[in-house]
Amino acid sequence: MKILIVDDSSTMRRIIINTLSRIGYADVVEGENGKSGLEKLGQGGVEMIITDWNMPEMDGLEFVKTVRGQNPAIPILMVTTNAAKEDIVEALQAGVNNYVVKPFTPETLKEKIESLLG
Amino acid sequence: MDQTEIDALLAGGGKSPRKPKAAVPAAPPVPAPQGEPHKDGSGHVISELDTVTAVTERESNKVMDQLDQISRLVSRQQELITGIMRHEGAQSPGVQKAIHEVMSAGKEIQDKVFEAMDLMQFQDITRQKLERIVHHLRQIHDYIVDLLGTGLKSDAERPSISHTIAQTGTTPDENKAHADAVIEAYKSQKKG
Repeated sequence: MKILIVDDSSTMRRIIINTLSRIGYADVVEGENGKSGLEKLGQGGVEMIITDWNMPEMDGLEFVKTVRGQNPAIPILMVTTNAAKEDIVEALQAGVNNYVVKPFTPETLKEKIESLLG
Repeated sequence: MDQTEIDALLAGGGKSPRKPKAAVPAAPPVPAPQGEPHKDGSGHVISELDTVTAVTERESNKVMDQLDQISRLVSRQQELITGIMRHEGAQSPGVQKAIHEVMSAGKEIQDKVFEAMDLMQFQDITRQKLERIVHHLRQIHDYIVDLLGTGLKSDAERPSISHTIAQTGTTPDENKAHADAVIEAYKSQKKG
């Protein structure tokens, strides 16, 4: 399964990639903001998206809305520092399937991914 | 900036030191600060904060490189020990027990390395908190420009920021229960 990770922090992308490889998902592609995420998505083969919210050029919310306009079915997990209730609701309304607040444990990421794929 | 660079800078009376040729893996260059040029105080502070962010990200990646390296070395060690385990001369119960203990210690190291990698999330969280501070500084700067009717407003594009940093935790999964409850409530409301 190919997973697209969109986050402007290279450290965070490495942490997510590392966690994914430990739980059996080694096929990943990376984007550093919504714009490059859309480019990677356009190259095909992506079956799931993990995206941050706060990014330059195109933020995660705009990215999710754009993706949903093209692909209503692809599972999207938002992983962000935004913890306010209104943020979570806004993300869900935009089309996010599940939501993780940073910092997270590998167990949480695993649980959320499995619930999206299950 | 490491100690060699600081020492060289001090010795050179403030002139830029030469880069030390330390055997560290290649790290991504620090991007140019996005804040305003040093025209005034706020532009300078924003620029400094951008540099802090870029340097901590670069240094965090160096730590991640080292942790990756330790992880690879431990895996290699485990492979070698597995080979020894199968060796004809290592079949006595005492040797097998000792090998198992070494293997178990290796696994413990590996787990600690992964734990340390996960803890590096602090870098991104700190970065976003600084971004929030930059946002406030820019608002103050623009307000003063409006008030005085002189100067340039902030124009560099910034990442979007969270509504508040007050709720951003530092302990892993501090907000998990809260987020899960909001998701659950939203989904049941949608169903109903």
